[in-house]
Amino acid sequence: MRRDRSIKRWLITVYRLSITGIRNLFRNAWLSVAAMAVMFVALSILLFTVVLNVTTSNAITELSRNLKVSIYLEDDITNEQRFELETALASSPYTADLEFISKDDARARFVENFRDDEALLEGLFLVGDDSLPASYEVSAVSLDDFGNIEVIALDEQFDEAIESITLGRTDARATIERAAQAQAFITSASALAAIIFTVISVLIIFNTIRIAIFTRNEEIRNMKLVGATPWYIRGPFLVEASMYGVISGVLAVVAVYSIIYSIGPNIINQDEFRATYEFFTQPTVIILALIATVTSGIVVGAFSSMLAMRKYLRLKHW
Amino acid sequence: MILLDRVSKVYGKEVAALDRISLHVEQDEFVIIIGSSGAGKSTLLKLLTREEKQSSGKIVIGNIDYDKLKDKEIPYLRRKIGVVFQDFKLLPNKNVFENVAFALEIVGHSNREIKHTVPKVLNVVGLRGKEKRMPAELSGGERQRVSIARAIVRQPKILVADEPTGNLDPRHAWDIIRILEKINRFGTTVLLTTHNQEIVNKLKRRVVTLQDGRIISDKAHGEYT
Repeated sequence: MRRDRSIKRWLITVYRLSITGIRNLFRNAWLSVAAMAVMFVALSILLFTVVLNVTTSNAITELSRNLKVSIYLEDDITNEQRFELETALASSPYTADLEFISKDDARARFVENFRDDEALLEGLFLVGDDSLPASYEVSAVSLDDFGNIEVIALDEQFDEAIESITLGRTDARATIERAAQAQAFITSASALAAIIFTVISVLIIFNTIRIAIFTRNEEIRNMKLVGATPWYIRGPFLVEASMYGVISGVLAVVAVYSIIYSIGPNIINQDEFRATYEFFTQPTVIILALIATVTSGIVVGAFSSMLAMRKYLRLKHW
Repeated sequence: MILLDRVSKVYGKEVAALDRISLHVEQDEFVIIIGSSGAGKSTLLKLLTREEKQSSGKIVIGNIDYDKLKDKEIPYLRRKIGVVFQDFKLLPNKNVFENVAFALEIVGHSNREIKHTVPKVLNVVGLRGKEKRMPAELSGGERQRVSIARAIVRQPKILVADEPTGNLDPRHAWDIIRILEKINRFGTTVLLTTHNQEIVNKLKRRVVTLQDGRIISDKAHGEYT
């Protein structure tokens, strides 16, 4: 039996199915609103999880960059010992940056930092200008690498060269570690919430399409009798459910970006948030976020409607 | 054109709606199928539109052998057969024009083709000027005309009308029969089932009588007996 497969007719048909699907969305206005509301929540949580994850990761990286291991050297360290220590630290994969602070540099920093504290400066003068030790300040690649750098410095070959090791400001380190733990928790909890709302969304769309199929049962039968193909009948349901995804996706992006733009100006002065804010407000990133969110919505909508049609729209037995 | 060879349709294990029916209908014929309720008239038409599948026997329409017909080809078969139902089966949310246009939309006709064809067909069935009316705003006779317009808009070779006058008063019933005769004169084979004795007797067309799923008479210029 001959079938007309011309591209023009195919395009006309796709256009008509899309228009019918969109009209059906408005015919089921209240059911559509319920389905889109839940999907909006699911997509907003999903997008917000991504934003939150990137924000905390960037903040932790930025904070970690300011945290340094200070390795104080013995006054009688030889040039060879210092060279060996420097070589060991510099060649370590855990080291991000390495800086030598001579005794003069240490004194100059001290004076600069405490220039308003005359008593302290006088104390330094009393104990002698060269009383502050030379040191290496080492930045780690990541927060977990500080321990590895400490292990290098504690090697017995450097026992006579190193006076002491300070792992940065301990309160800063603890704060960063707590932030990292919070990030892991927030990411897991958000991901779980996104999954739960996605499942609820699938169930609600499934039910919406099921009701639509039952409501249009007679119409579907008539369509079959005048020669509509199974895909001509399925098409509008698929478009309708996909439109839930498109509308919910756009609204989710608008909602999340409203939060970003309202909070952004208040935190842009903080180093740990500036990069994140600038990243998310790039036009390319906004467009990508929109495409990704809308696509996720379409996938969830189409999947739910396919499930409902497979179960309730029996077109095989004519 | 239409060939049924010892066709039976059995529901369940024992109920035979049709029992070894053999029928041959030529192109351009106007055939009236009569019989009491449960005689098998509607089942016969459902077999032709493949709403039902025969239990045994052979059905051939044109060059289409129903035994070789795949499920996915059924929509394309239905596009070749116009069907008119007693209860009209119009799409309630579409107006007159849209109901008729729908038959062309599903086969991918352009809007221009539809705007050109639909008014002509509505003119044939006497519905010119009522394009915007919704089915609920029409009389029974007018709804049936819409149903006929939808059935013939793709210019099918065969038109199957299952008791199209069943829900209509005599005047509207005759209007519908006149339209079916006109369509037949244009070269479409018409199969009409009816209970209406007056219509059968006045039309003087071929009459096939069914009783208990069997053909008990087949007369070229039959009457309701």
